[in-house]
Amino acid sequence: MARMKFLCDSERCIECNGCVTACKNENEVPWGVNRRRVVTLGDGLPGEKSVSVACMHCSDAPCMAVCPVDCFYHTDEGVVLHDKDMCIGCGYCFYACPFGAPQYPQSGAFGQRGKMDKCTFCAGGPEVDHSEEEFKKYGRNRLAEGKLPLCAEMCSTKALLGGDGDVVSDIFRDRALKRGKGGEMWGWGSAYGKPEPGTKKPEVKS
Amino acid sequence: MSKFAIALLITVFGLSACGDKEGVVVYKQGSYSGKTDGKPWENAAFAGDKSKWDNSIRARGQNQNESKRIGD
Amino acid sequence: MLIKKSSADSNTARRGRLSRSIQGTSYSAQLPEAIDRRTFLKRSGVGIGAGAFASQLPFSMIDKAEAMGSKPKGSDAVEIKRTVCTHCSVGCAIDAEVQNGVWIGQEPVFDSPLNLGAHCAKGASVREHGHGEMRLKTPMKLVDGKYQKISWDQALTEIGTKLLDIRKKSGPDAVYWIGSSKHNNEQSYLLRKFVSFWGTNNCDHQARICHSTTVAGVANTWGYGAMTNSYNDMQNAKAILFMGSNAAEAHPVAMLHVLHAKENGAKIIVCDPRFTRTAAKADQYVRFRSGTDIPMIWGILYHVFKNGWEDKKYIDDRVYGMEKVREEVMKWTPDKVLEATGATEEQLFQIAKTMAENRPSSIVWCMGQTQHTIGNAMVRAFCVLQLALGNIGKSGGGANIFRGHDNVQGATDIGPNPDSLPGYYGIVPGAWKHWAAVWGVDYEWIKKQYASEAMMTKPGITVSRWIDGVLEKNENIDQDSNLKAVVYWGMAPNSQTRGKEMLEAMKALELLLVIDPYPSATAAMAAKARKDGVYLLPAATQFETVGSVTASNRSLQWREKVIEPLFESKPDHVIMYLLAQKFGFEKELTKNIKVTNNEPSMEDTLREINKGCWTIGYTGQSPERLKLHMKNMHTFDVKTLRAKGGPCDGEYFGLPWPCYGTPEMKHPGSPNLYDTSKHVMDGGGNFRANFGVEKDGVNLLAGDGSASKGADLQFGYPEFDHVLLKKLGWWDDLTEEEKKKAEGKNWKTDSSGGIIRVAMKVHGCHPFGNAKARASVWNFPDPVPVHREPLYSTRPDMVDKYPTHDDKKAFWRMPTLYKSVQQKNKDVGKEFPLILTSGRLVEYEGGGEETRSNPWLAELQQEAFVEINPRAANDRGIRNDDWVWLKTPTGAQLKVRAQVTERVGSDTCFMPFHFSGHWMGEDMLQYYPEGAHPLVRGEAVNTATTYGYDSVTMMQETKTTVCQVVKA
Repeated sequence: MARMKFLCDSERCIECNGCVTACKNENEVPWGVNRRRVVTLGDGLPGEKSVSVACMHCSDAPCMAVCPVDCFYHTDEGVVLHDKDMCIGCGYCFYACPFGAPQYPQSGAFGQRGKMDKCTFCAGGPEVDHSEEEFKKYGRNRLAEGKLPLCAEMCSTKALLGGDGDVVSDIFRDRALKRGKGGEMWGWGSAYGKPEPGTKKPEVKS
Repeated sequence: MSKFAIALLITVFGLSACGDKEGVVVYKQGSYSGKTDGKPWENAAFAGDKSKWDNSIRARGQNQNESKRIGD
Repeated sequence: MLIKKSSADSNTARRGRLSRSIQGTSYSAQLPEAIDRRTFLKRSGVGIGAGAFASQLPFSMIDKAEAMGSKPKGSDAVEIKRTVCTHCSVGCAIDAEVQNGVWIGQEPVFDSPLNLGAHCAKGASVREHGHGEMRLKTPMKLVDGKYQKISWDQALTEIGTKLLDIRKKSGPDAVYWIGSSKHNNEQSYLLRKFVSFWGTNNCDHQARICHSTTVAGVANTWGYGAMTNSYNDMQNAKAILFMGSNAAEAHPVAMLHVLHAKENGAKIIVCDPRFTRTAAKADQYVRFRSGTDIPMIWGILYHVFKNGWEDKKYIDDRVYGMEKVREEVMKWTPDKVLEATGATEEQLFQIAKTMAENRPSSIVWCMGQTQHTIGNAMVRAFCVLQLALGNIGKSGGGANIFRGHDNVQGATDIGPNPDSLPGYYGIVPGAWKHWAAVWGVDYEWIKKQYASEAMMTKPGITVSRWIDGVLEKNENIDQDSNLKAVVYWGMAPNSQTRGKEMLEAMKALELLLVIDPYPSATAAMAAKARKDGVYLLPAATQFETVGSVTASNRSLQWREKVIEPLFESKPDHVIMYLLAQKFGFEKELTKNIKVTNNEPSMEDTLREINKGCWTIGYTGQSPERLKLHMKNMHTFDVKTLRAKGGPCDGEYFGLPWPCYGTPEMKHPGSPNLYDTSKHVMDGGGNFRANFGVEKDGVNLLAGDGSASKGADLQFGYPEFDHVLLKKLGWWDDLTEEEKKKAEGKNWKTDSSGGIIRVAMKVHGCHPFGNAKARASVWNFPDPVPVHREPLYSTRPDMVDKYPTHDDKKAFWRMPTLYKSVQQKNKDVGKEFPLILTSGRLVEYEGGGEETRSNPWLAELQQEAFVEINPRAANDRGIRNDDWVWLKTPTGAQLKVRAQVTERVGSDTCFMPFHFSGHWMGEDMLQYYPEGAHPLVRGEAVNTATTYGYDSVTMMQETKTTVCQVVKA
């Protein structure tokens, strides 16, 4: 069974925002709501590093744990989704999330929070696959087309990887092995609670 | 869940109960009670064929591995 | 770099790139901070400002989905159209999903050997073109200071009448035609033909202000003015030196190849006045003073020579004039280099050592080197470094010159250039006769269209100087009339320097015509400057038409039409045809080209290009071959670009030019230029014999044994013509048909292609001969590159030591000043002590109107800014995010946000050049046509840039000028 994961290789990320735009394009997310963004650390200084951040679809997701209306669920593929019809826009998940993933579109004249919106791993939501309803509420359902999130598929330097955790960590491990160093990926431990793939003892591949 | 979080939870729930949106949703504490979602292979494209879907996902995954395309 | 616009009165408001403000030395120590809620709130755009901004937009999330016609992929059939990104020169392929004529999805093309499915922000956003609201929707006319909608008929009639009137009154040279590097090959070629039939050489396009110095410098060094290798080939490099290129922002997908190479052990070196995003990925970074590229390069070469690291055999066999270079280089001792550049002996020694010990090593340059008054010399210095190391003509080596726009290479090769007909034939009578024959029109007829034969063979005014063509005193210019009308056909005005004077020039015109998919800053500036006499015509984008596009690596790709032209827009070649009708030469324009509903066939146009462009091998790329490549991308190897099996077996992807001879000759294209390790029919070659066979008694032909693999002539030889063929006894290898056409001709003018076929296919020789590269280019002002200070320098001591050129009188029809400007401004540094330089941001492109009209991109960077070092900022009482005035010696001042950052040194300020729509503190929103303004507007750096032009090509100086910054 595939277990979907994201991984951003900060040795590769050049902060081009291709992932951010791909997400906007595919899911038609409105201005001001950013399911994905790129964070740069040590900007303009030697050692500058960038990482692309969105919902990491945690194995033990804090958002799920704190949601007062229990609108979150894990799909069999490990994608964390939520039912917008249930969401009350309270913002709890936002406090809980270590990655700052939940987003709230403004609604109304007083800037009340709308229903929470976040990265769906391009897996739509709890509506009929490819329905108008699903697209309006959650965006495109690429997984149901047998495709992976567009942000990862379009990454300019293939820094952002998304897909079955085994495949993703294999790709990253091979790279780390070639570089002779590893572990420059970010968030894996917090999100998935396993050792980072780059720090695994590399197998020697023929 | 920490006691603090539960306390916060109750507060929020309490507040929302006082709000003007009553009965937004019926839920059961601690478990998802929204609409059920289908499997990604249960649609016209894959006609329920999970292994076909698995293969497609695996192939797309390897597209992100430029070494595979480059051959080194 | 997402920064949301926050409330203006908040001190914590972040301008522009939020992430840029998170500074620190330790990566891991920053992590918790990076994702804390406070930071995130600001980043998430929940702020007041962001909301206010969002409310300007015509859509909410759900409304938007409907407005755009975006639908889930339901039951209706989805067609896939393959096209190519229109932003930069990497040539990223795109699969567009189209349903019922609506562009509903964009898929990566993993099969593409160029980009392997990868995109930067711009590439990932192109679908927005399919439903963008912020476009010019109908023809418009400026009436009483406001744009009014008019019909195409009315527009064409009025424009046609006015232009013909000006032509009658002031002659054909009174109209200036600015073409576009955004046009496809066929359109840019047609435009050169169109302008010729109008009767002037006054035409130009982005390449003038982009890589003109490269093209001239490099072509004069070894033959062709283009990137020698490819993005892909950089994977074979063992070291790569970037100087004047910020590929991570300007060519992000190139970094896929570069970082892959790095992981395979290649050393990455970046020299730049700014610590760029590319520098962040480098093994070595050296900061240096803007404008001192030659001392830097000579400083590196000094160590190469001193340690005997030069490739002596290569230099003996394949390079002319290296000893003269050596004399100049050895004057640049480390102390002098340090004084001029700020780089130390140790730093430059390390670069020299890395480049020498990790061969093949490659170099990359872009605007950082080209846009200087001595740009032609800077790029040649870089070439010389590669020649000394023996890196040219080698896979993994080369001069990897990254072009800017998607088709700036193609437009340079065959488009509207003021000094050449398509294919670098020049504008001498012989060139005109060659093209007249290809076009099927009478040479005498073309001559009659011109004011005189003298004007027909005199290079036109360059786009960098059109403003002087309007404003300069008539007795000082080298043509009869001043310019009375200007046509902006797919170019941004804010990419040219001296914006303040441009506004004056716009005022003085009789007619300004803007043809563009986006209203462009031209429209706004014009409406600010005048009340009438301006027309706007909506052009279609490249996604709304078909045609070929040439990537930086010289590969051609064919775009399919994704959608029909939106609103009332028309493809550029349709507009060309309609205007030609008004001028009465539409039949001559399309003699060999089928026209359907006023649309000249792009396939036929390419076939005509194939019949004429022998010089640079634009002859083998028939539409059929290109289309076959687009369908079989997966068969091409990524590192070599060569197809392994399949229908394109043995060919290189996109038949990178030169792809010599007729399509039937099946030349595979040339992946790496001047590569002697391959047979010419496998894409091999050698340096071009374009400068005679000897100079002052020194042989210019290549040394013995130094020829392409398998050539019958294993020594240097001149270019092929009918005489040489006969002398060699190869004349009878021609067919009788070929003989008839080849008699009296050379390889460039033989319309049968027979001379090329015999030289290459039968005898394995290069049609352009086999000569040495020139380290000393005797026909240029400085044959061996020497450092000269910019006209506006903060260092009077350096001006004394390294003064600029003398003033020139009639240079590209214009008086052009050097020394007089420099002397007058010798002490300009007292009032303007900071160096001002400019460059790209990843989310925008060129003048930026198109990308700033795209909400997916515009959201990423919402304000113009200036980068200033903390030391310079503190000395001026400026804090991060303060509003500041940036002032320059032209009297211009720009109101921008201060980005206080160590990215720039304390003597330098940087501004991105993609902004327009603010004019010295004023928002120009009111001047745009209603509903067609870019979402994000800001000050254009070029409103404030100063005078200064390259001494060979008239390239403008944008990279080194001076400024002062004060708190607003």
